[in-house]
Amino acid sequence: MSKRHKISLSEEELIAALRNRERIAAEALYDMYSASLYGVISRIVIDTAIAEDVLQDTFIKIWNSFASYSSDKGRLFTWMVNIARNLAIDKIRSKDFKNQNKNQELENNVTFIDEQRNTAYKPELMGIKDLVETLKPEQKSILDLVYFKGYTHVEAADELGVPLGTIKTRLRMAIVQLRKFFN
Amino acid sequence: MKVEDIKAYIESGILELYVLGDVTPQEKLEVEAMAAKHPAIKAELEEIEKSLELYAEANAIEPDENQRDRVLNSLVVNLGDDRNFGRREEKPEAKVVPFEQPKQTNFYKYAFAASLALLIASTIALISVYNKLKDSQNLVASLNNQNQQMANTVSLKDGEIGVLRDPSFKMYKLNGTTKSPKSALMVAWSPSKKKVWIDMATAKMPANDKDHSYQLWAIVAGKPIDLGVFNADTTSKDMKEMKDVELASAFAVTLEKRGGSLTPSMDEMMVKSF
Repeated sequence: MSKRHKISLSEEELIAALRNRERIAAEALYDMYSASLYGVISRIVIDTAIAEDVLQDTFIKIWNSFASYSSDKGRLFTWMVNIARNLAIDKIRSKDFKNQNKNQELENNVTFIDEQRNTAYKPELMGIKDLVETLKPEQKSILDLVYFKGYTHVEAADELGVPLGTIKTRLRMAIVQLRKFFN
Repeated sequence: MKVEDIKAYIESGILELYVLGDVTPQEKLEVEAMAAKHPAIKAELEEIEKSLELYAEANAIEPDENQRDRVLNSLVVNLGDDRNFGRREEKPEAKVVPFEQPKQTNFYKYAFAASLALLIASTIALISVYNKLKDSQNLVASLNNQNQQMANTVSLKDGEIGVLRDPSFKMYKLNGTTKSPKSALMVAWSPSKKKVWIDMATAKMPANDKDHSYQLWAIVAGKPIDLGVFNADTTSKDMKEMKDVELASAFAVTLEKRGGSLTPSMDEMMVKSF
């Protein structure tokens, strides 16, 4: 954890500051969301240097295209995490990246990455072990494939060898479990 | 829309896929229209979003600390704002990074093209040098051959000059017989060295066909001794060494079957020294 004091604003304050392109908005945006976004990016892009590039690109894109975000259509983080996930997937599917031969087999990367790095557990989320246990294995695997590996549900059905309908149901049940847990 | 229909829509799983960004543009518009119309759907979406946001927080990974300045500086550059921004450190890599990528690709493209051009040029040069080398080797081989021939000629000429210089050699002129009155042949013989040479340059012998050869005989104690065979060759300017003989009283040449005979055919005698 950083010694520096992190800036935190309410989502409404942050959105207003971002609209005005205030410098404090950029700092708050980074402090509040970089770890969550980097968690998603670095599970898709294994190479640290490239994952850091994607993180930077993600913030640049959020900053530059903020005008296209509308709070009517959903939460700020939902919009941002989809930008991060798409940039990360674009990166690993790009010619450059494949040429660098740094691509890894996707299987078990989620657990792999968690073993390799210190996941930044937040004090308010100390029950992380309970969280993992609250999801059935098949729920966790589908959720992680789609949320952290950037699979579409169609690709996930293919990967897991499960019918599409089952995939949708499992995904929904996994998120229902999460909601129960966080409430 | 009935309450049950809304419930079924929520339970279809489409809202989760919408939040995950895994829907088609049409589905996206549809979900947004439904959410605007039905507060229950809007509330459901909000719940899904919150839970996934918390799940991401639970799985968060802190980026390296120096990334904060790097990212914020790149935003400042984008903003065109040079106000002091956090604890900014002047790092070269903190300047707009996205432009570095294409440059790198171009460099490799040019490097590849240059390598290819160099490879082609080297190959052409190599082939050219190889051809020159082959020409040179052929020239050396042909010169060697000529040299060898020259050495052989010189060695032969040495032998001929030896005959003329050596006082022990006696010259015999073989004159044509009645069978071939215009024929003639010079024979050089050294009784002490037993050597016999004939002079092809001054020989006047009618051309023999390929089934026959001329055969030189020495008369020793009244008997003919074989001294070897030869062919009539008007172009030759050489002398030819024949078999050795010690005590010859006379010489003669007969026309024999190719390769020579054991005894001379007396009626085919062309020239003789008696």
